[in-house]
Amino acid sequence: MNSLKLLPRRIFAFVARDFRLFMSYRMQFFLRILSVLTVVTTLFFISKIFAGFTDPQFSQWRDPLGAWLTGLAVLNYFMTGFSSLANAIRQEQMQGTLESVLLTPINLPTIIVSSSAWDFLETTFFSFLYLFFGRVFFGVQFRGSFFLAVIFLLLTTVVLACLGILSASFAMVFKRGDPFGMFLGAGSALFSGVFFPTQLLKTYAGPKLGSISLLLPPTYGLQGIRQVLIEGHGLAQVTQPLFTLLGFLVVLLPFSLWVFARAVRRAKREGSLIQY
Amino acid sequence: MSAISIRNLSKTYPVPFRRVRAFFRRPAKEPVEALCDVSFEVGTGEIFGLIGRNGAGKTTLTKIIATLVQPTTGSVSVHEQDSVSHDEHVRRLIGLATAEERSFYWRLNSEQNLMFFARLHGLSDRSAKQRIKELFAQLELDEVARRRFGELSTGNKQRLAVARAMLASPPVLLLDEPTRSLDPLAAARMRELISSLARQDPPVTILLTSHNLAEVETLCARVAIISRGSIRAIDTPRNLRDLTSGKEMVHITIAGGEKISFARQHEDDLLDVKIRELQARGARIVDIETERPTLLDVLERYEQS
Repeated sequence: MNSLKLLPRRIFAFVARDFRLFMSYRMQFFLRILSVLTVVTTLFFISKIFAGFTDPQFSQWRDPLGAWLTGLAVLNYFMTGFSSLANAIRQEQMQGTLESVLLTPINLPTIIVSSSAWDFLETTFFSFLYLFFGRVFFGVQFRGSFFLAVIFLLLTTVVLACLGILSASFAMVFKRGDPFGMFLGAGSALFSGVFFPTQLLKTYAGPKLGSISLLLPPTYGLQGIRQVLIEGHGLAQVTQPLFTLLGFLVVLLPFSLWVFARAVRRAKREGSLIQY
Repeated sequence: MSAISIRNLSKTYPVPFRRVRAFFRRPAKEPVEALCDVSFEVGTGEIFGLIGRNGAGKTTLTKIIATLVQPTTGSVSVHEQDSVSHDEHVRRLIGLATAEERSFYWRLNSEQNLMFFARLHGLSDRSAKQRIKELFAQLELDEVARRRFGELSTGNKQRLAVARAMLASPPVLLLDEPTRSLDPLAAARMRELISSLARQDPPVTILLTSHNLAEVETLCARVAIISRGSIRAIDTPRNLRDLTSGKEMVHITIAGGEKISFARQHEDDLLDVKIRELQARGARIVDIETERPTLLDVLERYEQS
């Protein structure tokens, strides 16, 4: 049987393993649900401070709770996109199980993609929970096409996964101190408009700092998703963020795969793949 | 046909970022030469022993065969598949069992652990369950099937590692100290299992790495002595002993407590002569002991040379 046919079985193997490991910490699962509910409730009360806020410049922020919840839900996804691939290798290295996984007849890219599959499922659940609690308990209205929003979400996640591949390559060669994780982790929350409109950065921090947000793929992902879900825009009105994300993908995908192949070769030569 | 073929294999672990360090005039370690021009073949169904001191290169050699590390020069092929260019195929042909306890998921039970690895090997859930059941019975692990790996005794962890290596029924097994943590009875059963695997049809080829020289001597058809990255000798355990010294010490105890000791060449007629002499003088022989050179003597000799 060829590798492609076996891919779903292998992905399932990793998902089943991670689900079992996850369920062996049941309390943590319930605490996380509770923590999402607490965050949503807190944001609801903070949003009441801005009741009646109608500046037309910030059309996506007329309902700040809706903007924050989409921001948080999507940020969760984006973080998983770029961190889970590197984490997959790091975690197996730290546990000491990477060697036994590498001894099975699968290639490294399959291991990395399959090991992060559970992270995406888990993130989907918790991201959905932000929107679900907002809708059910606090009456947040989401409009527009969910399908288009999902396309934005997937596209941004794939772009971030390319950065994740670079991050995984870095983790493989240098073991620690992943700069992509640090830059994107801190950068996305501050510069991508998760908690406040990116226009404010230009106003208060100057045009140079303000333009950092233009370099980050999550900015365009969030912009597109909010345009669709909050403002109810259709495909014709969201082409700018959509094409920008596609541009990122065209550049980053081949580059990250090239770097990854080099990192794997180097780690095998040095015999350092299983070291941490 | 040889199951494992190793040709002019060398491995030097490079020092990461050596040129960068040199550029900044930072001291850099020298590259480590772990293996130097190693060549040998292991026949199908053969139990082949690899002995040597810690750091001699056994682990590096095993890891290169298992495709975890790439050689610097030379090649390894398993059933004629190259370990670098056809690494995925080679991994289908081998199973590696090490004494490394951290190679399992501690919060999963024994069955769940094996199920995960069986799926990675491409086994369907049905055949995986069947195979796991067989292996648990064969390795006496039934009682701990539902127990978390972290709760197993060291011996059971080791047996589970062997079970994992055998999951996909590979034609080649690389066993690193398979009896190290087992009690004497379990160790004897493991040895029996290893020899039965080599006898079964189709036979399993086994590369056994061990510090238990008596075990290597009992199980292995041929043994390689590795020292400082080079193979110093390859032969049957008996020939290796004879290479060191063809002599063996004989101690004869006769009634009354008198002991006669002498050295003789292996299988010469000196023992018959001595026995006839003693019988001629009316002495009653109570005990005869022979002291032959062991693999330890052989190993020591190669280490000193």
